[in-house]
Amino acid sequence: MSSLLKHLSPLAPDDSGACGVFYELGGITVICDAGGCAGNVCGFDEPRWHEKQSALFSAGLRDMDAILGRDDRLVEKLRLICQQIEAPFTAIVGTPVPAVIATDFHALQRMAERKTGLPCITVASDGTKLYDYGEMLAYEELFRRFAAEALPVKPEKVGVIGATPLNTGLTRADSIISALKSQGYSEVVCFGMDSGFDAITRASECAHLLVISPSGLRAAEYLHRRFGTPYSVGFPVIPAQAAEAAGTLRGKRVLIVHQQFAANALRGMLTDCEADAATWFMLDRAYAAPQDFRIRSEAHLCEAAQHYDVIFADAVLKRVLRGFSGELIDFPHFAVSGRLN
Amino acid sequence: MNHAYYITAADLAERGADNIPDELRSAKHMIYSSPATLDYNSPGAKGFGVKRAGLVIPESVMLLVAPGCCGRNTALLNELGYSERFFYLMLDDTDIVTGRYLNKIPKACAEIAEELDKKPSVIVICVTCVDALLGTDMERVCRSCEEASGIPSIPAYMYALTREKRLPPMAMVRQAVYSLLEPQKRLPNECALLGYFSALDDGCELYALLKAAGIRKIHEIGRCGTFEEYKEISRANFSIVLNAEARYAAQDMQKKLGIPFIELTRLYRIDKIRTQYRLLGQAIGAKLDDAAYYAEAAQKIADFREKHGVLRFAVGEMLNADSFELALSLLEYGHQVSEIYGTVGERNFVFVKRIAAVSPQTRIYSNLHPSMLGYARDCEIDAAIGNDAKYYHKDLPGIGFQEEAQPFGYRGVNLLFDGLDAALTEGAGA
Repeated sequence: MSSLLKHLSPLAPDDSGACGVFYELGGITVICDAGGCAGNVCGFDEPRWHEKQSALFSAGLRDMDAILGRDDRLVEKLRLICQQIEAPFTAIVGTPVPAVIATDFHALQRMAERKTGLPCITVASDGTKLYDYGEMLAYEELFRRFAAEALPVKPEKVGVIGATPLNTGLTRADSIISALKSQGYSEVVCFGMDSGFDAITRASECAHLLVISPSGLRAAEYLHRRFGTPYSVGFPVIPAQAAEAAGTLRGKRVLIVHQQFAANALRGMLTDCEADAATWFMLDRAYAAPQDFRIRSEAHLCEAAQHYDVIFADAVLKRVLRGFSGELIDFPHFAVSGRLN
Repeated sequence: MNHAYYITAADLAERGADNIPDELRSAKHMIYSSPATLDYNSPGAKGFGVKRAGLVIPESVMLLVAPGCCGRNTALLNELGYSERFFYLMLDDTDIVTGRYLNKIPKACAEIAEELDKKPSVIVICVTCVDALLGTDMERVCRSCEEASGIPSIPAYMYALTREKRLPPMAMVRQAVYSLLEPQKRLPNECALLGYFSALDDGCELYALLKAAGIRKIHEIGRCGTFEEYKEISRANFSIVLNAEARYAAQDMQKKLGIPFIELTRLYRIDKIRTQYRLLGQAIGAKLDDAAYYAEAAQKIADFREKHGVLRFAVGEMLNADSFELALSLLEYGHQVSEIYGTVGERNFVFVKRIAAVSPQTRIYSNLHPSMLGYARDCEIDAAIGNDAKYYHKDLPGIGFQEEAQPFGYRGVNLLFDGLDAALTEGAGA
């Protein structure tokens, strides 16, 4: 049964992805849940929780709130918070509870905006999808709403979309910034990591956008359409251990398991190897090699693994790859194992 | 600057239990995921949440039936050795809309049974808010699972939506973990301790007092290494409920197994502990001689006070105690309590009133209130008790006091002051 996980814990869900995008932007983010989803985000999927403060709250829904559809109470609680915390926007992130009761997020958005006077973004995540889907929705909506003004372009400024702990295993942007500065950019902004709301509103200043996860593609396409900003994809922060191991391999059949753009970047470091990329998450065919594939289940990965000599993947997948006789090289992915680089 | 909302004990006591301010009532505001919230607010979170609690039955496995987001943090439990005991049936949106996953659950159980080398004692089917809203008949689902897999199945309800109901998730899971017990001949010299998922601290005097009263075997689920040992629990002649959340489980055992129960409370005021043991003795028809234990604890309290003087404490709720009862005990032992981070309710309001009488300026905060995001210390505190209090006061000596081995009775008092002594001594030497 493909939906049965026998060896792994569930991968990072869409609501975590959305929250990760909003985390450092200074808004008030509300997870529309009873408490458990917020616990999963703050207690597990958001490693910045104990490092950087963020106004991220649970709506604290109760059964009768859900059964009776008491959105007005949610909005009233939001209004109260907005009186206590200064913020440029609010965001409401969906979970299974609003999904089951079919919450009208558009209505919720309008109600919240009327009541608080602040722009509100809603993300109709439902906890059943994966983190990159939530990130995609959040990025797209953020730039659509707030990157409205066409500012003069700064020729040496690059904007990075997709810099979240779930994609990168990083909680700070230093290594991404220094990697891109070494490529000649004088100003680097990682949207949502070590940068705030202002960077989003000034996105049109960027001469170039670098998308480091498929979750950022839609937003980049939007910015390209809106301001003509060119974009490319890449992943400038491959962990040293994986990069070193990749440099020494020759003549091997290699499988790389990660989010697509990280896997592609590692593949680029291999010499004289046949390498395929596989991912549990989004796979955009425009950036995939012919043999690259999306992993459908634990059994699928286990079976596919038999065709390779070496697998780069998060070490937690060792439990799935019990029958694999080749070499497994650790390539951590926070959205899989919850381990930072 | 401290932006967090608080109310003094005097003001809160004056308002009364029926007029607790909204800032202290979690249903009235958004919830801040402070460390305490992570521990308390989410039934699936760290410590013994529903998921880990459901696996306290020896040789059991758990199937979590839920969207991926509900089981994500279960990876934390892998570090505690549970990785081979958790399985996940991931629901997608079509599953939820059509209800087709109900047919998948028995198939998943059959697949799990095939996968495992050793037949588990039970498959605990853990469901979440989705099934709370859909009103899934889990008894029926579990019967289907048992038919499909040949292994008993029981439900565990991780319903965060209902945590303030009469039967919150942690009370229901306590009932679930004892639900596999079957009636058998009860033995007069055996009893069961209910309430905690882990055992009492080995040095707890309750063991010795019960043995002195003729009890030869004390059953605790946290000490059961095998399913056979677990099944022996129903031989108990009576149960002692040590945590009110186990009352429903005890009532269920009384009804199904004929085992009566007595309730005790975890206390840190030694006079109350003595009274409680006297009443327990009367209930079981034995005189419990606790004089030596009382004297030892009293001496410990006095020695601590002499060594460290009068201290000003911050008391949290991520600890093995009721925050307010513990705070009151510290006040009665001559110390001061500057701040309490806790959940006020009808049950512990009596302590608030007593605190107000002896320390009216003690500040009471709710860990769950959004304003705690802006908490900053602006009063004098010497030491912190509880992992949440330690989080707010990282620069101060403190103890988490949240170990798995459960403190109780005089032993709990001794452990508290030994821990504080060690932390303060270390802090002074640092």
